[in-house]
Amino acid sequence: MSVEVKNVTKKFGSFIALDNVNLKVESGELVALLGPSGSGKTTLLRTIAGLEFPDPGTAQILFYGEDVTLIPASERKAGFAFQHYALFRHMSVFENIAFGLRVRPKTTRPPEDEIRQRVNKLLQLIQLEPLAKRYPSQLSGGQRQRVALARALAVEPKVLLLDEPFGALDAKVRKELRRWLRQLHDEIHITTLFVTHDQEEALEVSDRVAILRAGKIEQIGSPEEIYDNPASPFVYDFLGNVNLFSGRVHEGSVIIGDTEFSVPETAGETETSTVAFVRPHDIRITREANGDKTFAALVVRSNAAGPVANLELARVNGGVQFTAQLSKEEFQQLQLKTGERVFVELKNVKVFNEDFSI
Amino acid sequence: MAQKLFKSKTRVLPGFRLTLGYTLLYLSLIVLIPLAAVFWKTSLLTWPQFVQVITSPQALAAYRLSFGASLLAALINSVFGLIVAWVLVRYNFFGKKFVDALVDLPFALPTAVAGITLATLYAPNGWIGQFFEPLGIKISFTRLGVLVALTFIGLPFIVRTVQPILEDFEPEIEEAAASLGANRWQVFWRIIFPTLTPALITGFALAFARALGEYGSVVFISSNIPMKTQIVPLLIMTKLEQFDYPGATALAVVMLVFSFVLLLTINVLQWWANRYNATNLS
Repeated sequence: MSVEVKNVTKKFGSFIALDNVNLKVESGELVALLGPSGSGKTTLLRTIAGLEFPDPGTAQILFYGEDVTLIPASERKAGFAFQHYALFRHMSVFENIAFGLRVRPKTTRPPEDEIRQRVNKLLQLIQLEPLAKRYPSQLSGGQRQRVALARALAVEPKVLLLDEPFGALDAKVRKELRRWLRQLHDEIHITTLFVTHDQEEALEVSDRVAILRAGKIEQIGSPEEIYDNPASPFVYDFLGNVNLFSGRVHEGSVIIGDTEFSVPETAGETETSTVAFVRPHDIRITREANGDKTFAALVVRSNAAGPVANLELARVNGGVQFTAQLSKEEFQQLQLKTGERVFVELKNVKVFNEDFSI
Repeated sequence: MAQKLFKSKTRVLPGFRLTLGYTLLYLSLIVLIPLAAVFWKTSLLTWPQFVQVITSPQALAAYRLSFGASLLAALINSVFGLIVAWVLVRYNFFGKKFVDALVDLPFALPTAVAGITLATLYAPNGWIGQFFEPLGIKISFTRLGVLVALTFIGLPFIVRTVQPILEDFEPEIEEAAASLGANRWQVFWRIIFPTLTPALITGFALAFARALGEYGSVVFISSNIPMKTQIVPLLIMTKLEQFDYPGATALAVVMLVFSFVLLLTINVLQWWANRYNATNLS
């Protein structure tokens, strides 16, 4: 176990940023801390880095079994990369990366030759060798973040902590860089935690995702696990677009209006009102009604720009609006026009027992 | 080239010619013409006369005091002004706004008032001077007094140039340095100080230039004895009172040229200290 967080609580005045958080990260794992703003994900990361300290109590932070709860950041050996890079602007790229080695006390500082070698190796790793002499102001955002990563890696940290590392970059560079981060991690296998509010990023890059809400870890698991089996309406909603239909649970199915959809996990429960969750891509549209398996809806708007077609629909019975996603071919076959009447079938309907509010 | 400059295409901001013309006219009236007059008046002297005036023992002693004391005062202010700015930006304490306002006082106070006050305080029987008297240190009416006055008037320049840079300094930068293993001392010397250097140099140059030109407060705290405690502006004043206008302007020319060279050097230094802020190439 390389990083262990036990019973960590952190309050800022009356605001509870972290509420008794527990987290274990295996060594060599890449874990994403995912949550909306204010959920405490950055505070958790900063607490692990030693830039914040948990409220006194039973809180403990362990690095490879060693208790580092009270050790300040400068002695904790956790590499940290900031959203806005925090590069030293009066130093060249080379000197930025070398900084962590140069500030070591004389007894543990590597000789100049070795510093040079190590920095050059890292420059190779981040593919910025030709820019070693540039200053941060002469680099693009993506390049700056790579320098910040190399700088954090130079001190051979026990863990690498990244605070929204791609948050300040434009969409295209962000995608490139997160793929690069995944490759880098596969090469050097350093235990890494990174904070993000972008669910796509978390699901694509990480080995495991921890979803935070109001200072608590709501669910933790592999990307597939949490996507396919979200533990709460909050997680379900946070991981993608969602449609809500109010209905009733009835012996293994959910009844929405007059239509019945099978939801096996509700078997045994009867006659409670509920909210059914359905992803837009789990909605099937047909021209023909299929008995009591479909309900009628009107096409409100359609948009076929991009790889999929997005439809906005309204139920004929009640007028509730929802969105559906179709493949381009399906969309072209159906030849839908605004105002037309279609029939809707729901697949993978999800029902949660706890509160329905998101 | 000039044609290109003036026959430029439509601009987003109109009024280029008008504002440039105004700037040149204004600078000419306020700065260039008076300075040219100084040179013109000086040219009434023959070369040997000129050399004699500007290299007289009295003049040399006055240069030494003026430049020496101004330089030293600016250096002292660089150190203590930085500390004052640091305290004002980094800490919250009772009366902070009051202290902050106090810093500007040397700007606002009539220099004669400052001179008289300082002279009284630092006199052998004054509030502060009495503690130095037994140690054999005289402040008022000596060269030390000149230094005190010049330090007083230069303080705001350092504080006010360094303060905004310190305020803009992102805490993340310090946190990054700490997470890389740097201790507080290393964070200050390797990260914060180099960032402040350009502002510090600017403040130093301003304080230095201001001290060179200071007259009002120094005449009160100095005994103004030629060869000993006489600054250049006072020597010029003396010459004016004797209706020796060419002699006075000759000294003024020396001061002008020296100051210009010094300020130019400081500008080069500043450009060097700021080299990392090069244009964005991305």
